[in-house]
Amino acid sequence: MKRQNLRTAALILCIFSYLLVGAAVFDALESEAESGRKRLLEQKRGELRRKYRFSADDYRELERLVLQAEPHRAGRQWKFAGSFYFAITVITTIGYGHAAPGTDAGKVFCMFYAILGIPLTLVMFQSLGERMNTVVRLLLKKIKKCLGMRTTNVSMENMVLVGFLSCMGTLCIGAAAFSYFEGWTFFHAYYYCFITLTTIGFGDFVALQKNEALQKKPPYVAFSFMYILVGLTVIGAFLNLVVLRFLTMNSEDERRDAEERASLRRARNNIHLKPKEDSRSSNAIFLPVEDRTSQMNLIPLIQDAERQRRQSANSAAAVPSFCTCLCYRPQLCGSPVPSHPETLSCHTNPVYYNSISYKIDEVSLSTRGQTGSSPGSTLSSNSPRCRHHPRLRRKSI
Amino acid sequence: MKRQNVRTLALIMCTFTYLLVGAAVFDALESEEETAERRRLEAKSQELKNKYNLSAESYRELEWVVLKLKPHKAGVQWKFAGSFYFAITVITTIGYGHAAPSTDGGKVFCMVYALLGIPLTLVMFQSLGERINTFVRYLLHRIKKCLGMRRAEVSMANMVTIGFFSCISTLCIGAAAFSYYEHWSFFHAYYYCFITLTTIGFGDYVALQKDEALQNKPQYVAFSFVYILTGLTVIGAFLNLVVLRFMTMNAEDEKRDAEHRALLTRNGQASNVHPADVSSAAPAAPGGGGGGGGGFRNVYAEVLHFQSMCSCLWYKSREKLQYSIPMIIPRDLSTSDTCVEQSHSSPGRCPETPSNRCFCNARRSAISSVSTGLHSLAAFQSLTKRRSSV
Repeated sequence: MKRQNLRTAALILCIFSYLLVGAAVFDALESEAESGRKRLLEQKRGELRRKYRFSADDYRELERLVLQAEPHRAGRQWKFAGSFYFAITVITTIGYGHAAPGTDAGKVFCMFYAILGIPLTLVMFQSLGERMNTVVRLLLKKIKKCLGMRTTNVSMENMVLVGFLSCMGTLCIGAAAFSYFEGWTFFHAYYYCFITLTTIGFGDFVALQKNEALQKKPPYVAFSFMYILVGLTVIGAFLNLVVLRFLTMNSEDERRDAEERASLRRARNNIHLKPKEDSRSSNAIFLPVEDRTSQMNLIPLIQDAERQRRQSANSAAAVPSFCTCLCYRPQLCGSPVPSHPETLSCHTNPVYYNSISYKIDEVSLSTRGQTGSSPGSTLSSNSPRCRHHPRLRRKSI
Repeated sequence: MKRQNVRTLALIMCTFTYLLVGAAVFDALESEEETAERRRLEAKSQELKNKYNLSAESYRELEWVVLKLKPHKAGVQWKFAGSFYFAITVITTIGYGHAAPSTDGGKVFCMVYALLGIPLTLVMFQSLGERINTFVRYLLHRIKKCLGMRRAEVSMANMVTIGFFSCISTLCIGAAAFSYYEHWSFFHAYYYCFITLTTIGFGDYVALQKDEALQNKPQYVAFSFVYILTGLTVIGAFLNLVVLRFMTMNAEDEKRDAEHRALLTRNGQASNVHPADVSSAAPAAPGGGGGGGGGFRNVYAEVLHFQSMCSCLWYKSREKLQYSIPMIIPRDLSTSDTCVEQSHSSPGRCPETPSNRCFCNARRSAISSVSTGLHSLAAFQSLTKRRSSV
């Protein structure tokens, strides 16, 4: 089966099992407490009803009243500060629900607001997150240089570690702050920050709901907003570093397959392109190794070198282009440098390459072999195997 | 300033402005109603208090009991069905909050569960969404062929339209179903579906909370779960089609910059460069070598150079051909398959909807001019125009 389909099916199965396991564990953890609590509360309710001699109707009315009044208990929710808070929870998809539009017009506007705001916010956080990662990478490199370390390249592990620690740091700072201001325990505040920054947003703990904070404590309000937005950026940066590449995997494989099919077709038709002939292939950029005939058109240069390479390419497996590690075939690359060829033929996932430190920004190509980045080393170590397993792709999912 | 920085700053400004505008509008829409409702509720509760002679203290007590009983009113929340529902709301980040772990152990497990589950779910939805898009593209291609249309390629506009309509119909189907089962108005059910499928999940409307549905109506429960997951897939497919490319923009530009820098450095090292003489310009290697590894490295350099300019060539050709498709990021795979085949079958002709890749062979003149310019830094620097979108 096609790799993408296999991957997708595996992911679906994973998710279902994950849900089943989660459900079972939550059941085990919470069910008993729930029934115990329910019993106690119903007892208490019975007591209170008897004590005050509520009629059934009146009690229902009371219930309705109390539930409806719940958001009001926390203060004015829809003045500007509260609305801003609400707008944040909408476009970041946190969605506490501590305040939800009551009017139908509010609901309609909320939907339109979300349609435009959510993609904007997603793109903004990823954009800012990528910038942050770049700055961190730069800083880390400078630090490594200052410390006089031998290899000043910033590996993926370094970046992931720094990212993970920043996330933890963000959560802890928030937990400390909110436990102080809201009077929660540190653990509950940490839980609140976690649920907020993962945008789950249950609403069981919501900041700015005590003592009319929204109206009366503007610095605290400003801090909360900034914290949420900055925290989401930090998490976004970490996601950009670690998860984003996986989101584009199927697309890349699809593209690679398409290129593969096209080049196979071309090879089968055995087109002898002359140097100056118009190349029909837009793959030229992407398949320099396997299909250099088209590359020749663009760069009608080193004909003898090309011929030489074409021969070796034809003799080798015809379709190494799908292999991410293709580029490491030593006789072609002529150097241990993974970066260029990779970028050329595997010009696919910029996040993937960008997040690996071996940027092509230095002429020190020869030192590139020491890039400690895991994908890089994984790939380069694949090079001998590449010839035998041309379909081997990146080791991750 | 670097393009990525400008873009990021612009996005930040946009988001802040968007928040301010949103806040103002919500204020205008909801504030008055809020005050009015508050007053109404106050009056009613005062009535009740007077009727039953309740002190403030006892009223607070009653309030507390009622609020705490609220989730229980909706039924048992943590049996298996309810837990499954909860697990869905966690890993999809919907997070209604209709039920939230009360035990500390539950909270801890919830956090760990989310930590692993959310990325897994993101990847799964995008993966499945991409498969759906590919399938739809393929179907559309066949349909176009069957209908005997001249151009059987599936354009981005086609895909976006279809995606948009699938989203709308998913919402409508859900709205119809939930308004029937939950006795909400169609509008409220639609609002519920929207808030759920965008994963905002306020919790003001939550399905499966009436009449002990979680325990008593397994088919409805199954339908709800399937609806949420399928709906999220459809939305995910649409996002995959439309938004995902924008999330990788900065990274792509960064890579292009790095390539440029590398090329510049390498070209700078090359001493014998003859801009006009393309054929002999190949060995612009540092060592001046012709074949072998050094020469090959230079081929790469040239190709990289070309590739980096390619995107602007692509846009040049696009501009000339005046395509009106708004999506101009060259990473869309929508027509990769069909376009490549197309380009193969009709040599030299530029397909109507160029694949999003660098369709640099669109014009020979462009190519030859580029290839002569390959070794000329000046020409290169003049082509610093990049994709025209943000």
